[in-house]
Amino acid sequence: MSTSSRHRLDVLGLFDNEYDEDGYRQCSVTGLDVHRSVENHVKLFGVTAVVWLLVGGLFAITVVGTRWEAIGLLSASDYYIHLSMHAWSMLLFWIVFVEVAILYVGGPMVLGRRLPLTKLAKAGYLVMVGGVLTIYYAIWTTSAPDQAPLLTAYIPLPSSPLFYAGALTFVVGVVIAAVPFFVTLWREKREKPGETLPLVTFGAFITGIIAVEALLGGVVAFGGALLWRLEILTFDPAAYRMWFWIVGHGTQQINLVAMIVVWYFLTHVVGGAEVVSEKVSRTAFILYLFFINMGAAHHLLVDPGISTGWRIWNTSYAFYGATLASLIHAFAIPAGIEAGRRKRGKGGGLFGWLTSAPWQNPMFAAPVIAIILFGFLGGITGVLMGQLQLNMAWHNTFATVGHFHSTVVLGTTITFMAVVYFVIRTMFMRRFVSNRLASLQPFLYGGAMGLTALMMMYVGILYGVPRRTPEVVANIPGTDFSLSAAEPLFVVFGLAAFVAIAGGALFVVLAVGSLLFGERIEPGRVDDSLLADGGDASLGFADGTELTTRESIDLSQDPDDPVHAYEMRGTFVLCLLFLAAFVITYILNWYLITQLWQIGA
Amino acid sequence: MTSPLKPPEGNWWDQPVDRRETIWLGLGVGWALVLFGWMSAFTRVGDQNPIGETYRVSAEEFRAKMGEYQDAGEETDEGLVPPGDDVLIGAGQFYWDGLPVVLEADRQYDIHLFAYDVQHGFSIRPEETLSKQINLQTIPGYEWVVPMTFDEPGTYRVLCNEFCGDGHEAMHGRLVVREGEQ
Repeated sequence: MSTSSRHRLDVLGLFDNEYDEDGYRQCSVTGLDVHRSVENHVKLFGVTAVVWLLVGGLFAITVVGTRWEAIGLLSASDYYIHLSMHAWSMLLFWIVFVEVAILYVGGPMVLGRRLPLTKLAKAGYLVMVGGVLTIYYAIWTTSAPDQAPLLTAYIPLPSSPLFYAGALTFVVGVVIAAVPFFVTLWREKREKPGETLPLVTFGAFITGIIAVEALLGGVVAFGGALLWRLEILTFDPAAYRMWFWIVGHGTQQINLVAMIVVWYFLTHVVGGAEVVSEKVSRTAFILYLFFINMGAAHHLLVDPGISTGWRIWNTSYAFYGATLASLIHAFAIPAGIEAGRRKRGKGGGLFGWLTSAPWQNPMFAAPVIAIILFGFLGGITGVLMGQLQLNMAWHNTFATVGHFHSTVVLGTTITFMAVVYFVIRTMFMRRFVSNRLASLQPFLYGGAMGLTALMMMYVGILYGVPRRTPEVVANIPGTDFSLSAAEPLFVVFGLAAFVAIAGGALFVVLAVGSLLFGERIEPGRVDDSLLADGGDASLGFADGTELTTRESIDLSQDPDDPVHAYEMRGTFVLCLLFLAAFVITYILNWYLITQLWQIGA
Repeated sequence: MTSPLKPPEGNWWDQPVDRRETIWLGLGVGWALVLFGWMSAFTRVGDQNPIGETYRVSAEEFRAKMGEYQDAGEETDEGLVPPGDDVLIGAGQFYWDGLPVVLEADRQYDIHLFAYDVQHGFSIRPEETLSKQINLQTIPGYEWVVPMTFDEPGTYRVLCNEFCGDGHEAMHGRLVVREGEQ
């Protein structure tokens, strides 16, 4: 290999892995044949995502410092601008950039192919970055008559035309960046028509389809709003809400499905998990494909002008088709860990497979924390607030913010942090600057953020604190009425939120520090801290060396030792606990709503 | 056979599903039907539903209607006593037109919600019990008539919970419920 070509595009030694003449190398952890073109683009999107996370995190400080009215950091006008910056950075930029990286991993990397149309991938990247910078500029320079867009930019409240243009640009950029992924699958299926896609690739494909559906909704919403803002055409505000939520909620469904793909991927690679039933898991992805976009209707449940039948049909995802899919994954993923670890001799008793798990490895701990917190806090509340009647209590309260911090932060962001850790270890080939801090980080961030989200829900439901306002708890301008009864909970909220921000900052420091100063992992050497925990001396070799991750992974290919024959009783108990929590919170929420005065025809 | 990173081989569709996973699937389907059934049934048997007729109305038309309504009602120290069973509430930057209003307990009113300029959020709770709160969206051009019967006398506070511009945080209104004439 010529050194010059290898280092041609190298930046800070970050793109300098050694490849064979065809541009491939074999990953010592996963055993996948990784082509340079895939790896470099995954790195590009992954590292850029961390930049947006950093920006969003800085604005988290000012947003929390304002909502905790005891501090009262910002004026109202500034608050709305900072909140907009936080929302777009976190919910869209950080997450969607990681999602493009996940598509490239789930498609070409898992399939052992090169990334086709790399120019298109780069063009998509540049268009996305252009959209991001335009949106940042538009939000930051908001001036009358324009208002800060927040996330939703509900017309007819005007935002800067540049904002709509930036949002449209960003959305188009994502679609462009997704094209090489779809072309990969097209070529794979053309070459191997009879072969089933790996589960991770299949899930990524479903993610990609849901993404394109969502993004096309965004083209209508932002394109239409831009034309409305330029007074070229009229746009009904109720119709805008529907179009906006196709992209607004749809992008969160991309998060969900991408996150689940990562859960299957990482629990397998670092936890020894296997797929207990291809049929059941794939059926769940299909259910998402058909039903999950209906989740957008959750945002319109207390809107005028929409029939009751439309609302009930859509918000129930047509009889809870997508909820059933999530319940399936809620069993299948922990069951895969349980059965896989039992098969590898790591699962005594009911929960031995969990207590013996590699909790000190953030690439295992983070997704498992995400699974638990997403399920209990995000998933349950999502179904609750998605009930037509309960939505009256949740809509636009701070509890809603608690819900989506449970899904998007506790679920997606924590999972995607694990993705970044994984990319640092296996693609940038760097050790963490501190293993101890890397082990601690998911617990610190997840714990503090979980408490933050819980407090948001409590103050929203029990005290009716609205979202999107800097002043309401201690003081509502112009009246003696206030919601100051919620103040004690806001103290817990504020403290927990600042600890969570510290946990997020620790992630950025670890990620950037490891990229710049982490010790290089030499090619071909097995990274000892990444051994799947199936790698145990009892299963290892006679000379005492342990099973490597690769060998552990290869165990799952043994046709004489099917994983579905292993016990899943620990998972079953955990799932029953989850269902019990679901039923109890459901009843409590309904009890609260039936205590109200009579409402509705 | 069971790696998520490798194509499954053979007839993976017919591979047996673990008994506990099958039971869980049954529980999941059952719970999904309960969720749907209860939500749907409650629209028929329940007392709290965000359901009411919607009419397309322009801001001018609603303002004219509001003028007539306010002329016909009786102004008191606590607020407007509406002339009949209709209560008009128009949301604007940054005020609640038609509030404060004085209502009787245990009498069903048709609450007409409207937004004059941009979207607003009608967020209401009795000031004594903050957990008893509900929220309805108001959208320009749409007059939404939601019947309500307040069974407990007291002062109800209305906030805006949809961002409606710089000044949104000060948008506040009042609704006073008196003992009904028995």
